[in-house]
Amino acid sequence: MTAPEIVLRVEDLHKSYGSNTVLAGVTFNVTKRETKIVCGPSGSGKSTLLRCLNLLTIPEKGSVWLEGIEVTDPSVDINKARQKIGFVFQDFNLFAHFTALRNVSAGLEIVKGVRKDEAKKIALEALQKVGLEEHAKKYPAELSGGQKQRVAIARALAMNPVIMFYDEPTSALDPQLIGEVLEVMKQLAREGMTSLVVTHEMGFAQSVGDEMLFMMEGRILERGTPTALITDSGNEVTREFFKSINKLYGRFEK
Amino acid sequence: MLGEFQTMIWEFFPYILGGIVWTFGLVGGGLGMGFAIGLPVAAGQAYGSRATNAILSAYVWFFRSIPLLVLLFLFYWGIFPALGYKLDPLACSIAVLGIRSGAYQSQIFRGAIESVGEGQLMAARTLGMSKTKGIYHIVLPQALRVSIPGWANEYAIMLKDSAITFALGVLEILTRTRYVVMATMDPFLPYFFAGGVFIVLTYGGTKIINLVYEKTKVPGLIRRA
Repeated sequence: MTAPEIVLRVEDLHKSYGSNTVLAGVTFNVTKRETKIVCGPSGSGKSTLLRCLNLLTIPEKGSVWLEGIEVTDPSVDINKARQKIGFVFQDFNLFAHFTALRNVSAGLEIVKGVRKDEAKKIALEALQKVGLEEHAKKYPAELSGGQKQRVAIARALAMNPVIMFYDEPTSALDPQLIGEVLEVMKQLAREGMTSLVVTHEMGFAQSVGDEMLFMMEGRILERGTPTALITDSGNEVTREFFKSINKLYGRFEK
Repeated sequence: MLGEFQTMIWEFFPYILGGIVWTFGLVGGGLGMGFAIGLPVAAGQAYGSRATNAILSAYVWFFRSIPLLVLLFLFYWGIFPALGYKLDPLACSIAVLGIRSGAYQSQIFRGAIESVGEGQLMAARTLGMSKTKGIYHIVLPQALRVSIPGWANEYAIMLKDSAITFALGVLEILTRTRYVVMATMDPFLPYFFAGGVFIVLTYGGTKIINLVYEKTKVPGLIRRA
């Protein structure tokens, strides 16, 4: 049996703002078709980690490799590398002046130079995938939070990325809208989309997560299967964290 | 008496109305030039380095602090001749209105750019757009839509300010009205008529710009104060 293909390799990533260290040496791999969950208390460096991985924030030290190419190498065209990483934000960041369809097709046209009709076709397929084709002509302001986030997922998918990053994709949503977004993410994960997910949705983590990284003060404190970490961690800090998460989010666990 | 009134209507009013062409030249040239200056200045203030920002802020501050009449005289008698340019009154007036309007317009655009927020530009960058492409395709189309009401206001102000160029003898509405007053010795009717012309131009122009605003409106795109 051959070793699983590594899509994303992260080595010894460091980032600090002044004297405040946010990432203090983070190392991990994401293999093809894997869903990796990142969680940890607020301020532990999860969002900064994602942003450092596609250089929205520049790390001070360490390297990031995407499909064998070092994106932290200054000679690499970062705009090319970013096309391969689908990024879903907590607060959606949809383009407010574009319809849902144009939100999804814009990247194809502007970045990849895909012809308009072809881009439209791909965009419609992506919207179909997230169950929003009938809302294609609506503007973001006319969509619910859950629908917005699904458009954002379609926007990322349309670029045909090799990996998806989700940065707390359901944290800004009303509780009754979280389910529809998680369903889309689960479906994608089951279809084999490689993903790196920062989330506190433990139900989601347990159902599709292959490995979980528990971060604390800029380091990976513990790693293992989501179930092992959530229910059976030997570490006091990890246990305390999941106990409090369970209190907050327990209503979804049933 | 009736004869004088008829002369006023059939000879002098058309002469005053002829000033509209000049006034439009001043306003169109000034607004256009102000746009060409104001938009890059706003982008520079929103995205530029600290040094860029300091220089641009100084420009904005300078031209917003000095009365228009002072600027007109300063440039017409001072700066342009000193630089070796012999500009006629119309060209000099357009230049001054434009440079000054650029300072005001930049603040309209800057507020609009900031109202779009950084998240969308970041999203554009995650798709692989360069910063320039993101600003061009994502931020500016929204910022410009949001700017239209402020811009309509700038049109109305510029229209009225353009009358000050009578001081350089530009043949716009006020200059012509003054000539008529001198010729007829009647200050009432000509000035009243000129005022009416400005009301119509202000109202009509603002209406047209607001129409453009309604036409380009997108749900949810409102300027956050």
